[in-house]
Amino acid sequence: MKIIKYIVLALCITSIYSCKPEEFGPIGEEENIVKSLQGTWGLTKVTQKDEDAATKGFPYKELDITNVYAYKDLVIALQGDAAGTPTSFIITQGNSPKISDFNTGTWTVDNVKAPTVINLKSGTLTSELTLGSYAELKTGKFYLKKVKKSNGKAIVSYTYQFTKK
Amino acid sequence: MKKLVLTIILGFCAAFTFAQSNPSFSPATFTAEDEVTITLDVTGTGMAGQTDVYLWMFSNDGVGGGKDALTNGQWGSSSEAAKMTRVAGNVFTFKFTGTTLFGQSPAELINFGFLGKSKDGTKQTQDFKPFKFDPLVFTASQFRVFPSKMDFTDMATVYFHQDLATDQNLQRMFDVKVTLTFYSDAIPQTVVATRNALVATKESNVLYSYSFIPERLITLPAGTKLGKFSYQFTGSIKDANGTNVPTSGPVTEVSYTVFN
Repeated sequence: MKIIKYIVLALCITSIYSCKPEEFGPIGEEENIVKSLQGTWGLTKVTQKDEDAATKGFPYKELDITNVYAYKDLVIALQGDAAGTPTSFIITQGNSPKISDFNTGTWTVDNVKAPTVINLKSGTLTSELTLGSYAELKTGKFYLKKVKKSNGKAIVSYTYQFTKK
Repeated sequence: MKKLVLTIILGFCAAFTFAQSNPSFSPATFTAEDEVTITLDVTGTGMAGQTDVYLWMFSNDGVGGGKDALTNGQWGSSSEAAKMTRVAGNVFTFKFTGTTLFGQSPAELINFGFLGKSKDGTKQTQDFKPFKFDPLVFTASQFRVFPSKMDFTDMATVYFHQDLATDQNLQRMFDVKVTLTFYSDAIPQTVVATRNALVATKESNVLYSYSFIPERLITLPAGTKLGKFSYQFTGSIKDANGTNVPTSGPVTEVSYTVFN
């Protein structure tokens, strides 16, 4: 009986002694999303969404309009300084319909570490575009969404898929 | 000099006032179950200068199944429930919910219209109509437009679902084309341009479509905004001798939404 007690005691001491902080490897450098956005991007897909229909659960919510006009002509160059801070942008429209009311100016983001909105600015004019998932940024794709609203309610939106040139 | 400057400023103010849509609605889009506020400026109508304006409202103008609003009262003696609230000068507001006002279900209510009048009916504005209620349920139809609301800078796609056509000629129509007519947003709305015989895309054996952005089809004069467009599917059918005979569907109008 005493032997069992010693065995249990020994197990407890071993268990407690074996508890120690586990060392994790480095998680890597923090990804600079804004810097990753910089570069020259070609428009590769345009989707139009009827937000009102989606809200009401109606059919016919989305339509791929990429090939209706020459959307793939459009190229956007997002430029930044050495530190990765956004500076200027240039949209080369080609024969594509416009996605912004102006083709040159400056760009800013709402949050440097986790941007969700990109603002294109030209003088007093601003065009607000929502930034989509970063998941495909590493594979050279990102998404911008333009939402058109009426009294704060989303009615129509366009999602632009850009691929790195 | 002062008078001249004042006149110019007043002119601009007047022009700006008329440029606003009248009547206006808040929210801009609504279903028959939403509470809506109408803002009506009676300047330039038979009710200009009046302090009391009563609404005479009616549903489903031109589409059948219409009713007068339960608040109308008699033409010679409007109900007090139909009285608008004066907010400034010739500007009045009125709050209502479609289903309550007309005593009709959301499925029954398609559009509404109204006029402003004096209580005794001796003075009145012109009719303001029709204003559509947003549907609460989707109803399939032979013609539709995607998206359901857009402004004139948006891509629009018009569809013809031939399998839903009730007219025999439309069921048999081939060589399907589209005619588009664009109207200005000025009052009265005038035709800006028409494009005929635009070849429709055959998406399947029973579905035709045509996608467009107005400024890619027509040249808009500087400063011109579009208020609506109409579309009509056209094509051919075979007669008894096997000869192609032109045929066409009805003209469907689509009003552009003003985004803000």
